[in-house]
Amino acid sequence: MSQQDPIKLIPRNAAALRRGQSQVSAARLVTGNSAATRLESGVGNCFPGLECDLRNLERRFFPFLEVDIVETTVSLANIVAVDMPGVQSAVAAGQMTAALSAIYQLINNDLAQNRRWVIEQLTGTFGPLGNQSLRVTDFGLPSIGDGRRPPDAWTAIRMLTEGTPVTIIARRVSPTVRRTLTGARARYLDDNGALAKMFSPGELTQSLCSPWTHDFRDCGCYYWATNHPDIAKPPLPSPPPDDPDINVEVSWLRANRSLTPLPAPATPRESAELRHYEINAQWQALNFVLEGRESLAPYQPGIFSGEPFATPAELETHLRYAAGVELAVLHEYLAALYSLKLTGLPAGSAEDVMAAQAELLRISIGEMRHLRIVNDVLASMRITTPFVPALRVAASVPGVQPGAFRQTQPRPARPDVIEEFIALEQPSLSVDGLYAKILATLEQSGTDEQEQTIRSIMSEGEEHFETFKFIQEWLGAHNPNDYLLAPNLAPPPAGNALHQTLQQRYRALLQQLFDGYQQGLPAGAANINAARNLMLGANGIQGAAEAVARAGFLVVFDTVNDPRFAPIDHP
Amino acid sequence: MLTIGKLPAAPTAPLFKRFASAIGEHLLIAPHSRLFDLPPDFAAALDRQEEEPLQLVAALAQAASGEEALEKVVAPNPQSLSLNVSSSCNLACAYCYAGQGAFKGAQPSPMSWEVARAAIDRLFATADAQAPLTVGFLGGEPFVNRALIHRATHYAAEAGAARGLDVRFAVTTNGTLLNKNDIELLRAYRFAVTVSVDGGVELHDAQRPLAGGQAGSFARLCAALGPLLADPGLALVAARATVNRRDFNLRQRFAAILAAGFPEVGFAPLRAAGPDAGALHDEDWPRYLAALTELAEDERARALQGANIRLTNFAVALKQLYRGASSPYPCGAGGGYFSVAANGDWYACHRAIGAPAYRLGDNHGLDEMRRRDFLTSRHVHAQTACQTCWARYLCSGGCHQEATQRTESACGFVRGWLEFCLRAYCELSAHRPEFFSADQYLGGQQ
Repeated sequence: MSQQDPIKLIPRNAAALRRGQSQVSAARLVTGNSAATRLESGVGNCFPGLECDLRNLERRFFPFLEVDIVETTVSLANIVAVDMPGVQSAVAAGQMTAALSAIYQLINNDLAQNRRWVIEQLTGTFGPLGNQSLRVTDFGLPSIGDGRRPPDAWTAIRMLTEGTPVTIIARRVSPTVRRTLTGARARYLDDNGALAKMFSPGELTQSLCSPWTHDFRDCGCYYWATNHPDIAKPPLPSPPPDDPDINVEVSWLRANRSLTPLPAPATPRESAELRHYEINAQWQALNFVLEGRESLAPYQPGIFSGEPFATPAELETHLRYAAGVELAVLHEYLAALYSLKLTGLPAGSAEDVMAAQAELLRISIGEMRHLRIVNDVLASMRITTPFVPALRVAASVPGVQPGAFRQTQPRPARPDVIEEFIALEQPSLSVDGLYAKILATLEQSGTDEQEQTIRSIMSEGEEHFETFKFIQEWLGAHNPNDYLLAPNLAPPPAGNALHQTLQQRYRALLQQLFDGYQQGLPAGAANINAARNLMLGANGIQGAAEAVARAGFLVVFDTVNDPRFAPIDHP
Repeated sequence: MLTIGKLPAAPTAPLFKRFASAIGEHLLIAPHSRLFDLPPDFAAALDRQEEEPLQLVAALAQAASGEEALEKVVAPNPQSLSLNVSSSCNLACAYCYAGQGAFKGAQPSPMSWEVARAAIDRLFATADAQAPLTVGFLGGEPFVNRALIHRATHYAAEAGAARGLDVRFAVTTNGTLLNKNDIELLRAYRFAVTVSVDGGVELHDAQRPLAGGQAGSFARLCAALGPLLADPGLALVAARATVNRRDFNLRQRFAAILAAGFPEVGFAPLRAAGPDAGALHDEDWPRYLAALTELAEDERARALQGANIRLTNFAVALKQLYRGASSPYPCGAGGGYFSVAANGDWYACHRAIGAPAYRLGDNHGLDEMRRRDFLTSRHVHAQTACQTCWARYLCSGGCHQEATQRTESACGFVRGWLEFCLRAYCELSAHRPEFFSADQYLGGQQ
């Protein structure tokens, strides 16, 4: 075959056509939203947002009607469409009277003839503001206290309690006809948390900002989508130059688009940026930003390189170790969290330290979620009956270099320790590398559920990595002596009462987790709830750890003398 | 659809089948059954196993958007159910897999209304409302228990309508017991009526004697079924003929069954049966293949002239090739299909009533672990003999019940038949493309 000859295969059946119309599916894990992404994961708000405009939900607040919420001097909203197939289905199912369906039919017929219908009165349950009946003229009047009126038509509609009866008075503008309709405030999501079927594709995004207009220039809100940020690393030439400035962020809107020399670093001061008309004329010069860097060429995702394990036994061994790693890093993260001062912080550092504490706690809770996920996957493999939960603490955790491990070691949140946390959570390496192999194995022989749960751990790990970099940045602005209880904070002496309380709660936690995981759901739900209560709050590990820290000691967890919770070595 | 496991294909499993027809060179990509016309030089390069064409074949074998990966073990919600309503039969065919409905004592009594209703309720509770559902009736001869068929049909139709379900019906019958009310029922609902009829009067009477051993079943069949064949209403009536090794004159059988008024006829070779029932031996398969393709050639010639195809085996094969039917399972057994025994136990297959390995649940629910084991063990990637076969996603290993009788000769028949159908499909689709755009080739059951 000559390389120059075009190969022309003519599809002879529907399956051949399908393949021709479908892009080659990726045989690798590509960067993007995780499988766990839901509507609420996006950046949506009640203005023209970035990923969805939540105002569009209210367009469907009343059954079988689509409205534009536009206040006029006499009306709250315009009716723009009627879902007649839905009305007919409701009638056929005996859920709507003929009289009500006739009103929908009338409105539908009028809209088809360009006759305008508006909503002039709205009666219903407005959440905490209770039952009210509203006309547009009500909004301008002062209103305070319990039972006050919502400030405007859209807020009023947004506050309507889902499922409660709503009555509207609809009016045809000319010739004037009024009709009263009653229906339950529509559900926007279905039982699975997905958007209700009544929403059409694109309906929630129809009013978004247009990214290639000069909105970029004027918008002061600083929350553009990550591929259109304020600052980014400049494009990477090939081969990459040996110049550290290539990793310094520059203004994304810079007027000077030359890359030689490298653009000037971004500063808080206004730099020379593209003007409005220049953006309109040169929009193509604004580069896409992926993974924090401007990109000039098609994006090449990193190749997913996880090698599957050879046997189910090897998979189980590594899953048990992975559970142990989750517990081990939890020990390290909690030690770091409670090494940060709760009080007595110098002016200017309090907010940064509090943010670091909050994020360390959030990450720690995430690790507990991972522990549960790994146990769920192990339980679903049904290797033994009854299931033996994986709750042994890893004696060592994966290092950055493949095959290397470092000892589990709770320490204060010193800069060198935060650096190790970043390495630990680094994508494709360390812990993520361990899960990559687990995922590769499950992709070959696991279930969808097993695959997706492991993917969710990996996605969260990547997010933990980013968060630790933020923590590094926040704490890096201050002297460690200012925010640490002590750079070389030591564990409490043996017999310390506060320490003993902590260990007691920790052992109780492990026991509850063991019982809960072993029974699975729903039988183990009470144990899982008990475990949660043992973690958070003044009477939980949180309270006990804070007490140890207040006494000036490092929070550590002793080895439990029980084979179920004994240290586990790496495979 | 819930994926409950994966079984990768053997690395050495063939990815394609090369063949030629009267219109040129072709390629069947085994995974997903894609068919292409090939330029002669590409066909030659592929035959020489050159790297570039082989890489292209590998790319074409990947799943397209919306296609299910073939290595997946999936557990769909049950969508079709057959109710083994009767435990007896008025005929005494030597090869009956059901032992006249008693399944060697596993089903000693007919199904009760309570069991039937519970099974239908269970099916409706979990079925996918977006796809059609089928409630089927089997036995024994199902119309021995006609009262239950009538009651269950009315109930399923009403309960289904109340839930917004598209409920369809199926019955496999010897046709001899149908009365006027039965025929009205079959006409009034969307019944797929499969009638067991093996040939003309002599052959049929010999293969399907009355329970006392006498002849006369063919005459009874014609008398009872005649009004339905003349006016089927909503019913779709088809004949299914069992072929044993004693008579391969399919043309004669085909003509006799059509003469009785059936619109189409399908043949099923007898693979597994008792010692004297006439199951095909290794040496019989080439003869059977020759007889079937001879008949199919006749139908192909008719189709090229614009007529319809009356040989069900051929029509179904063409439809599946057009759609690119490709599955790791030969049927829905244990997946979307279950068969309910008279006692309310759910079996993966109606032929396996009483077989412990096929009992996967009852009217209270399915044992998902047993189901996973069944579906995993019956996946075509788990069948050693199929790992070297290009036809593995078209044949999918064949009927689970007959898998133990699988021989190289029997597999040779399957491949030979598919090769004929592939050639015929390419030629027919080139000369009569409109034949494959008709609605019946795009929707409905496979």
